[in-house]
This record gives sequence, C-alpha cells and structure tokens, in this order.
Amino acid sequence: MRGPLLAAAGGAMGGAGGPLARTIRAKLTAALQPTHLEVRDDSPRHGGPPGAETHFGVLVVSGRFAGLPLLQRHRLVHEALRAELAGPLHALQVIARTPQQWQSDPHAPPAPPCLGGSKR
Amino acid sequence: VFMKGSPAQPLCGFSNAVVQILRLHGVEDYRAHDVLQDPDLRQGIKNYSNWPTIPQVYLNGEFVGGCDILLQMHQNGDLVEELKKLGIRSALLDAEKDQEKK
Repeated sequence: MRGPLLAAAGGAMGGAGGPLARTIRAKLTAALQPTHLEVRDDSPRHGGPPGAETHFGVLVVSGRFAGLPLLQRHRLVHEALRAELAGPLHALQVIARTPQQWQSDPHAPPAPPCLGGSKR
Repeated sequence: VFMKGSPAQPLCGFSNAVVQILRLHGVEDYRAHDVLQDPDLRQGIKNYSNWPTIPQVYLNGEFVGGCDILLQMHQNGDLVEELKKLGIRSALLDAEKDQEKK
C-alpha cells in the first residue's frame, strides 16, 4: 500500500529499501511507536547514485506527539536517529503528526527540489 | 537564517524553501548566513541549537526550526502570528484583505 509521502516522491522504493532505510524505520518504530510511518529515500533526487541513502524524508504519526509543539516533535525524531544524523544521514525531512491530525488530513507536502547543495 | 547559499542564490532546495516562504510574507530584510562559506559556522550553529541540519531559522534570536517547521507554520497561520509579535505585518494579510474587497 502506497502512502502519500511515497506517492508524492514518485515512490520508487521497491520493497523495504536499503540498510539505512531499514535502520531508520526500526529506530523510529522503537522510539515513537507510530500508528503510521513512511520512510522515503530522496537521495536519487539530490544527485546521489541509487542506493546512496543520504537524504531521507520521514512521516511519523504518533500519539507521543500529542501536546508537543513542532520543535519538540522534530527533536524527538532527531533523538531517535542521533547516530545516523552524526554519520551518513545528510538531510532529513520530517513530518510529525498526532493520529488525530493525520486522520483529519492524510496528506503530506512534497519535498523541495534539490538546488545543488555543497557539491557546487 | 542560517542557510546554504544566499537569499539571492540559495544552493539547497530546503534553504530555498525558507527564503521563498519568508518572501511570500514580505519578509526580505533579514540576516542570512551562508554556512557553505564557513565550516566552523556550519558545525557551530548545529551545536548551538542542538539541531542537526541546515537551514535554521531564528526569530528574534530564538530558534524556530528548519524548513519543514517553517512550512507548517506558514500553512497553519502560525507564521503570521509570530511575525506580528515581532512587529512585522505579513504581506499575506494585505493579500487577503484585497481578496475580501473583491
């Protein structure tokens, strides 16, 4: 089943994704017990070769976010992926919603296009 | 704003998104720091805010978040409110007024 985040990306995920994708999925699941989780590898859209696994987008729906402002929600996600962010994970788009928010609006905005970054 | 590139020429899609959102609100007069010019700045600002990525938006010295947060604040009206607190009237309010007049 394709979630909106994957569909918006043109979702060529082909299965569980690479090792980093699986790690991200596992860590976010353990840390936040999400009711809905999408992990998208955007690396191909940023000039990396297929399987580069450097730029990711995650959509996390979790009751843990209830009552928390956006900044705190994002910090929870960063905390779960601290090791990855210190290492291979170069960019991370985060959408963090409560189950109620997700139910009333099950859509995610697409990621902005790459403009070259530090490779220029 | 700590970003990659400059508001005139952003070098990253996420940094560009921040510039475009601020521009929609008529906010163009802000300090922008290009972290690509200075590796110490690039790491230093991440340490300061305890936030792992660029761009980083600060309003009145307070860290607000990155591109995703700014986009959501823009979409849910929070950005207009935050700008108002700083004495900045968002251009979108005037745009809405024009629409209502029609």
